[in-house]
Amino acid sequence: MQEGEVFGFLGPNGAGKSTTVKMLTTLLTITAGSAQVAGIDVAAEPDAVRKRIGVALQEAGLDPRQTGRELLRLQGRLFGLAPHAAAERAAVLLALVELEDSADRRIKGYSGGMKRRLDLASALVHEPEVLFLDEPTTGLDPASRLTVWDEVRRINERGTTVFLTTQYLEEADRLCDRLAIIDDGRIVREGTPAELKAGLRERRGLDADPTLDDVFLDATGRTRDRVEGDVQELSA
Amino acid sequence: MSQAWVLGQRALREGWRTPEALLPTLFIPLFFLVVNVGQAARIFPAASTGFLHGQGYGAFQLPASLLLASSLATAALFLGEDIEAGYFDKLRATPVSRTALVLGRLIAEGVKGLLIATLIVLLGLSFGISIASGVLGFVLLVVLTALWTVVFAGFMQLIALKTRSAAATNSAGLIFFPLLFLTPNFVPRDLLTRPMEIAATCNPVTYVMEGMRSLILVDLEWDTILLGFGVVAVAGAVMLALNVRVIQRYD
Repeated sequence: MQEGEVFGFLGPNGAGKSTTVKMLTTLLTITAGSAQVAGIDVAAEPDAVRKRIGVALQEAGLDPRQTGRELLRLQGRLFGLAPHAAAERAAVLLALVELEDSADRRIKGYSGGMKRRLDLASALVHEPEVLFLDEPTTGLDPASRLTVWDEVRRINERGTTVFLTTQYLEEADRLCDRLAIIDDGRIVREGTPAELKAGLRERRGLDADPTLDDVFLDATGRTRDRVEGDVQELSA
Repeated sequence: MSQAWVLGQRALREGWRTPEALLPTLFIPLFFLVVNVGQAARIFPAASTGFLHGQGYGAFQLPASLLLASSLATAALFLGEDIEAGYFDKLRATPVSRTALVLGRLIAEGVKGLLIATLIVLLGLSFGISIASGVLGFVLLVVLTALWTVVFAGFMQLIALKTRSAAATNSAGLIFFPLLFLTPNFVPRDLLTRPMEIAATCNPVTYVMEGMRSLILVDLEWDTILLGFGVVAVAGAVMLALNVRVIQRYD
């Protein structure tokens, strides 16, 4: 991954996307090989890595009994901010994700989109160098999804490197500078979306650029026919 | 320690905001106190029952109620919910010391334990129970209860960390029944049948209960009191060591 980019990590269900994120964010022990985040060895210096990363996992991990403001303040305190600084940072982030009006309501009453935005904000409390987003829009309605995309772009424009896993190829196409496709625990394609499409077009001798869906299906050994066949079989 | 206190404050807020979980910790022990005294008080009249030291049977039963309150601590249940909701992973991804992650809720349980024990004892006093060891005894009684609350909550927290399930943790909480009832909770140890006496002697809760009871019924009987605190200290050290070990290996 290069500094300052949005890097997409794609793969079918069970390919190892979330496991990779959990290993890179120190939540899972690396049993073989090694990994560096922001130039730091994850296994050797997990605390140093934690100080430099923000994490928003697949399920928005929030405490429903706290208010949005309390959750962000707590997160700030856990990253070493003084109480006053944590309160100020919480206010800035609530404005950033447009949750000021709901800041003092319990999270229990937030919609899915609001929870996801708050989760994003909580990952930004300490202005991380690298932000890990594990399927940040799964389960969101189209409007909420667009809002999250805007947030990710805005965060990236401020200089944060983003590592994003997603199952939505349109999302990867729109947001990612570069991406990798993982299948069965191995990276099978890597490059910019344009490079990957051009590569497939050249290899297959196509008249027009394929979509990222075609690249994904090709990379993971799946075909549209097979996928459609599977769907028909399921619906029967 | 400051990180643990920050997490403890959050756990206290959580407790305050879930009265449905907190209130049973107060009312269930009081309910059992009333029921047990109602059933057995006439069997053990104050005037002719030596082990009551001139007090009513309620004074003898009060430690059992305090220990029951300790057993109803909610730290592990809420930890299980945090794990299931993914919030615990969020906390684990922060640069907070792993020990603080397990200590936070235990600190909150200690504070809640102090409050609940104080309320139960004060209610007991208003119904005629007196603390034979005076103000110092009152303080020691409340502190001993709070410390045992922390120890019990810590062991339950271990179950939450291992099972990662709020429901499993809740079910495991039933362990408090044998721990609480294999004790001299209705009569002193020397009046128990031989098998029960052996079971009670092997049960660490017995010594905590007897320490509490001596504070209420007798004056400052340091041997018994220190034995009670000693059991809490040893169990607390084991609990803490296991918690730290489990959280450091938690994946």
